[in-house]
Amino acid sequence: MKFRNMNWAPYLLLLPSFVYLILFFGWPMVQALGLAFRRDSQILPLRAEPAVEEAAVTGELERGTTVEVLDVEVFETQRAGGLLTDRVFWLEVSGTDPEGETITGWVLRGQVFVADASRSNEGAVRANSVTLRAEPAQSAEAVAELPRGTEVDILEWGKTENRIAADGLLQKPQNWLLVSGETAEGEAVEGWVERAPIFVEDATISATGRVQAGEGSKEWTLDYVKRMVRDAKFSQSLRTTVILILLILPVQFVLAIIMALVLQSQIKFSSLFLYIYAIPLGISDLAAGLVWYTIFTQSGYLNSLLQSLGLIDRPFIFISSANKEWIILAIVLAEIWRATSIVMVIVVSGLQAIPRDYLEAGELFGASLWQRLRHIILPLLKPSLQVALILRTILAFQVFAVVVAISGGDVITVLANEAYRWYDIGAYNNKNVAAAYSGFIMLLSLGVAVFYLRAVRTQEEREAAG
Amino acid sequence: MTTTPTTQTAAPLPRVRVRDLPVEQQRAIRARQLRRAGTYAVAIAVALWILLPIWLIGTLAFSAPADVRAYPKQAAPIPFSTETMEFFLNAEGVLPATRNSIVVAGLTLLLSTAISAPAGYAIARYFFRGRDAYRLSILAVRAFPIVILAVPLAVTFRTVGIYDEVYSVALMHTALTLPTTILVVSSVFASVPRELEEAAKVFGCNAVEAFWRVVLPLALPGVAASAIFTFVMSWNEVFAAVVLTLENRTLPALILYNLDKSGDPFKFAGGFFMLVPSLIFIFFVRRYLFNMWGQITK
Repeated sequence: MKFRNMNWAPYLLLLPSFVYLILFFGWPMVQALGLAFRRDSQILPLRAEPAVEEAAVTGELERGTTVEVLDVEVFETQRAGGLLTDRVFWLEVSGTDPEGETITGWVLRGQVFVADASRSNEGAVRANSVTLRAEPAQSAEAVAELPRGTEVDILEWGKTENRIAADGLLQKPQNWLLVSGETAEGEAVEGWVERAPIFVEDATISATGRVQAGEGSKEWTLDYVKRMVRDAKFSQSLRTTVILILLILPVQFVLAIIMALVLQSQIKFSSLFLYIYAIPLGISDLAAGLVWYTIFTQSGYLNSLLQSLGLIDRPFIFISSANKEWIILAIVLAEIWRATSIVMVIVVSGLQAIPRDYLEAGELFGASLWQRLRHIILPLLKPSLQVALILRTILAFQVFAVVVAISGGDVITVLANEAYRWYDIGAYNNKNVAAAYSGFIMLLSLGVAVFYLRAVRTQEEREAAG
Repeated sequence: MTTTPTTQTAAPLPRVRVRDLPVEQQRAIRARQLRRAGTYAVAIAVALWILLPIWLIGTLAFSAPADVRAYPKQAAPIPFSTETMEFFLNAEGVLPATRNSIVVAGLTLLLSTAISAPAGYAIARYFFRGRDAYRLSILAVRAFPIVILAVPLAVTFRTVGIYDEVYSVALMHTALTLPTTILVVSSVFASVPRELEEAAKVFGCNAVEAFWRVVLPLALPGVAASAIFTFVMSWNEVFAAVVLTLENRTLPALILYNLDKSGDPFKFAGGFFMLVPSLIFIFFVRRYLFNMWGQITK
């Protein structure tokens, strides 16, 4: 290699890929760590006194904590030149903080979602004006306008359904009120209006609520990691993932070596066999899961076969919480079926790199297949097998859709599935714990790679010494 | 492994019947035939192990819904019916999701190929400082669980405002496929003889022309194979897709999300529908498989 004339061309050619991987590989890793270890605006401080900005903080509650409402105080502030009194509710609540201690303190009404505020039937408009609508929806036809301060009777409380907004975020159900009141012209009108711009008099507040807002700074925390580890599903998913790896990999490697030897044995139609053996390379884990679901489901092919052979007289339920072993078996078979091809391809490339003379020499001296395998092929194949082993183990830590497709992901769960469930808006909706799972899977993969590489090196050293 | 085609026994002699040979040779030939039969038996058994489950789900996908729910199940789609498949394709969201999947996979193919082709060419053709380090880090990234990074990426996408967009899934899938594509494309370029490129330059092409007129046409089949494989990887990917989308689901994300809400006909037809492209695409790229994956061991 000569560097007399520095050639910039290769660096320019590499630049796009480099930038891309920084953006979509490097950055998400940093982001994952940030999410897993940095707390952001999820913590609600409780104050020693109501309505005092600088009141001492008695403790902090995590978002989502259930609290008991002990007391309510209402503070009136004059707004808009004294035309309207704004009422601010402070609640004294008690709840359990992340460390497990019960703390008591004051918070603003809006920071705690109170499930059933009892519904009064009198209120007033507190926004500049509100539009009454024919239906409880923003898009509905406008009926009338009510100016600020108009007193209204609340005829009915309504709630919208859960829905997904245009920006993709889940919208909480909104409260709508059917109100009647007088317009500025003195005309009596009736229509639906959103809850927020209406001040409801004397709404008493129920005894329990849930922390839904918070303030706070970015700070390092182990809370999310602790939460992940303490979750009952954590050890369960870790155990299942490891069990799957231990059950799948050995069979997979034996099968892959057999497939590779068959392909290398110069049989007829070998290109057809290669095609068939390679098909699973292109099959997704979800499709593979569904394929094996057809076999193991209650009215599936396995039961059909057993029944037609007369071995059972009614279908056996393989996939149920009582038969976890059967679910594991189905997943193991599906993974072996789907993911052995990758190992096979790597092994075949390794075999092709073995000089033919070695194999022919073995054959010439009358070595049996097993002897050749044991003393010639496997030792020369070792580098390929190591790479395949690292690759397959790391891929196995990400196993996801196969498990969900076969078991629904509830009875039997794996790490990636837990990451998804914590992330899922319909489930736990906690991106921090989900990121902690991501980080954990990354760490495991890294650990496995380092472990394998070191094991290989010490073995080589031992061989060199011996 | 069990036989070598042209060795001592067979060569130029006139046809010899086995039973005329000495006993040891007879025995050796019998043993060889037996081994050969064994090899075929194993080869066919493995092929059946792979094909049979595909046949079974295909059977269900092309049986009438009543037959799909029936028990015990039939082993062949008789009577043949496209009703279940039609039901799946007409189910809410399936066609848009299929379109999304094709768009995502297409974008991923374009982006991934556009970025990896120059990088692969650089690794294959130039010697430069940091080449080995770059190759090694690509190998490391290749083995990394990139898919898991969809979770933090989704949070970033929300802040940036490109969450639940078809192209943002393609961005993630490009990151996912890029390391593999770079390695494959570089091995494809490396297999184009350097002499041809040099000859083109001797005859007056500049570097760009030489690449365009000589290297690219020769490398095109390999690059196309890698592009097809990229397409399949993206078409199949489900974790990142389900994390990064809500309404604009890709097909696997839609099916996964609706698994617990849908009946068996939907699942079976969906499973079969998803695996059809791989049956076709693998056929076209099978010659390049070892280029693609063999690479990784070097």
